[in-house]
This record gives sequence, structure tokens and C-alpha cells, in this order.
Amino acid sequence: MEERIREIAQRYPAEKRFSLAVLQDVQREFNYIPPEALPLIKEHLGPDVREGQLYALATFYKALSLKPKGKHIIKICDGTACHMQGSTRLITAVQLALGIGPGECTPDGQFSLELVNCVGSCALAPIMIVDETYHSKVTMEGLPAILDTYRPGGERDV
Amino acid sequence: MSETVKLVIDGKPCTCEKGDYLLEVAQRNGIRIPRMCYHEGLSGLGACRVCIVEVVEAGRSRVVTSCIYPVLSEIEVFTQNEKIKELRGMVLTLLARLAPNAEGVAKMAAKTGIELPRLAVKEGGDTCILCGRCVSACEALGSGAIAKVNRGVTKEIATPYGEPSSECIGCGSCAFVCPTDSIASERTEESFTIWGREFEMQRCSVCGMPFTTQAAFAFLQAAQAEWEPGAEQQPPLCEECGKKAVARQIANAGKYL
Ligand code: SF4
Ligand code: FES
Repeated sequence: MEERIREIAQRYPAEKRFSLAVLQDVQREFNYIPPEALPLIKEHLGPDVREGQLYALATFYKALSLKPKGKHIIKICDGTACHMQGSTRLITAVQLALGIGPGECTPDGQFSLELVNCVGSCALAPIMIVDETYHSKVTMEGLPAILDTYRPGGERDV
Repeated sequence: MSETVKLVIDGKPCTCEKGDYLLEVAQRNGIRIPRMCYHEGLSGLGACRVCIVEVVEAGRSRVVTSCIYPVLSEIEVFTQNEKIKELRGMVLTLLARLAPNAEGVAKMAAKTGIELPRLAVKEGGDTCILCGRCVSACEALGSGAIAKVNRGVTKEIATPYGEPSSECIGCGSCAFVCPTDSIASERTEESFTIWGREFEMQRCSVCGMPFTTQAAFAFLQAAQAEWEPGAEQQPPLCEECGKKAVARQIANAGKYL
């Protein structure tokens, strides 16, 4: 893992302004920012970058996570339109099906659940985004089948 | 060439160089604007908003944050008229809500004649007003052990992952500059503990008094070596013995004049 983090950091010139870019790439690779990453990133970016600053960035942006995320990331929109169309019920249904609440990850590392604000597809409410795929007008009845495709061996579990 | 600007603060005519910060200009002229996050040695943070004042420029009035407001043109400044008192009262009330146990806030309110609404003082409640002085001090020194982490209501001052930080040198600057004494530390003859790490003290090579941590001393020596490569490394001296050593040097130098 350390080698990999070094490689990612070295994609960028050793300048402070690339801190966020490196953190984003680390997030993409590992699905979170492992504690080991900060000293290694700092080592590459040079002396005017401080570990504290990197950690501040990592905790400020929602796109960066300090806890490992699942292989598949479920995002449920809880914006106004989706909320009116029953996103709360959807959240509960996912909770019941997978045993995780918002911000959590299943013990097998397969799924994590997040709530997001309006994704701009209100006509298709309620929206559930898994990885990059938008599932629209999701119903309680349809939910289990969608989730199954992401379970180990499912067609979307790649 | 720097330009001189005229201004009037609370009725007192003053001058300053263009670009000087208003809070400092006022201070030089004997007017102390209340402040909490501003600190002489650190760059203005503009975080606490206690230092707000009213600025009137060509008939237009604005409320500005004086510690980060550069004086660029002729202005008239009011540091404690009714409007400012009311607004500052609001700012202090919000700070007191944020940190109900911060004595610094209560003291500031008392000093500026502002009555804070009665707040629920919780046992062990927050004292940090998130002004960022501590972080700024740590960075100014060349370290980066702490930062403002998270955001919104969960924002706090912490070390990365809440773990003892490898960048911390135990200098204690953060605790020293904190206006609300929010940073816990413990000092004994032998050790200094802060942010979850215990540091061994460095003793003065002359009088033997512990005066800083070994890590902080080593850090300063390394920094000095960087500024003046090849310069002779100074032995560890406490403030008192350091002064004496300098005085002796000056006296000796005088001999050869
Ligand atoms: S710990 Fe003290 S110096 Fe640091 S942000 Fe809080 S109040 Fe300011
Ligand atoms: S002293 Fe100016 S904002 Fe805090």
C-alpha cells in the first residue's frame, strides 16, 4: 500500500497546491484516506505541506473519507423532491436489507451507504445512485433486485 | 514609496501607511479595539469578529473586521458606538453559545461592557471558540501538528486522526496563545505532555533549569542550521542565561573598540 501511495503522489509535481488532487486520487484508489497516507503525501509534496493541513482537507471535503468505504457505494438522494417521494422509506429499506445506516459500511466491505443532497434529477425521484449508475423511481418492491445485482457474484459486481 | 493616509478613530486624528491594518493603527494611537483571535505575532485570522468597527468613507458606512482591514483611503472609524456595541454583543453571545465555559469570552464581555444572556454552563462544556490561533502559531513555527478539522457543528481543533502527532515538538505555543486556555497540557520538572504525547524537558546548560522540551530545542537548532549553514550550534540556554550570555558578548566586544 505504501508503494502505491507514493506512486500516486508522484503523479503530481511536489507543490502544495496539488494536495487535494493527491488526496482525491488516494481516495479513488483505496476508497478512503488511510492514516499512513498523510506522512507519505507530505514527504512528496515538500516541507511547506503539513500533516495537519492534509488532515484538515481530508475532513473538510465530503468526497474524502476517513473510514474505509465499501466496494459499492450507494448514494440515496434526500433532496426535497426525493424526500417527498419517499426517500426516507428507501433509506430504511436499505438499512433493513443490508444492516447499515448512512455513513456506514457492511462488515464484508461490499456496500456503504451515503445520503446526498439534490442530484438534479428530481423528475425521477426517488433516486438511488450505486457507484456511477442512477436508479430512478426506486420502489420498495424493486429495491431488493437492484441490490442483488451488486452482491458478490451479481452482474454488476465487477 | 509608501503613502501616508489620514484617518480619524473615535474622534482622534491619526495617520498611517497605506495598507496598514486598522486594528494595529488604532493600537499605535492608544485605542485598543477588543479582539480575541488577533495576536501580535501571527497574521490576522479574521475568525472571531470581536474586533468589528464601523468605517465611514465618503459618507458611506460599513462594518468591517479591523484586524484584517487594510486602511487604503481617508476614513472615519468608530470602535465603540451604539451600533458596534450591539453587534459586538451579538458576536460575543454567539461565541459564548459555542463555548459556554470559555472564561475568555465572559471576560471580554465584561471588559467591553456587554451583558451576556445567561447561558447553560455545562460541566466539562466547550471552551474553544475555534479562533484558530493555536493552528496559526503551530504553522508559524514551522510545524503542523494540529488543524481545524471537520466542518460545521463538528468542527474542532485536533491532531490528524486524533492520534499523537509526529510533527508535534511539544513547544506549547498553541496552549500559550489560546485566548480561552482550551488546550490541556501538563508540565513537570522532567516532562511536558500535550496532544497525547509526552516530551522530555531540556535543561539549561548553565543553570540546569528545564526551559523547553528536547524536541523543541532540536527543532530550533535544525531551523537555525538551515538559516545559517555552518554557524556554530548554540548550547541550550534558558532565557535568563541566554540574556546574560548576550550581555557578556556585548561587554567583551566593547573592550576592543
Ligand atoms: S484551542 Fe484556543 S487557540 Fe485554538 S481555536 Fe480553540 S480557542 Fe482558539
Ligand atoms: S480579532 Fe479580528 S476577527 Fe478576531
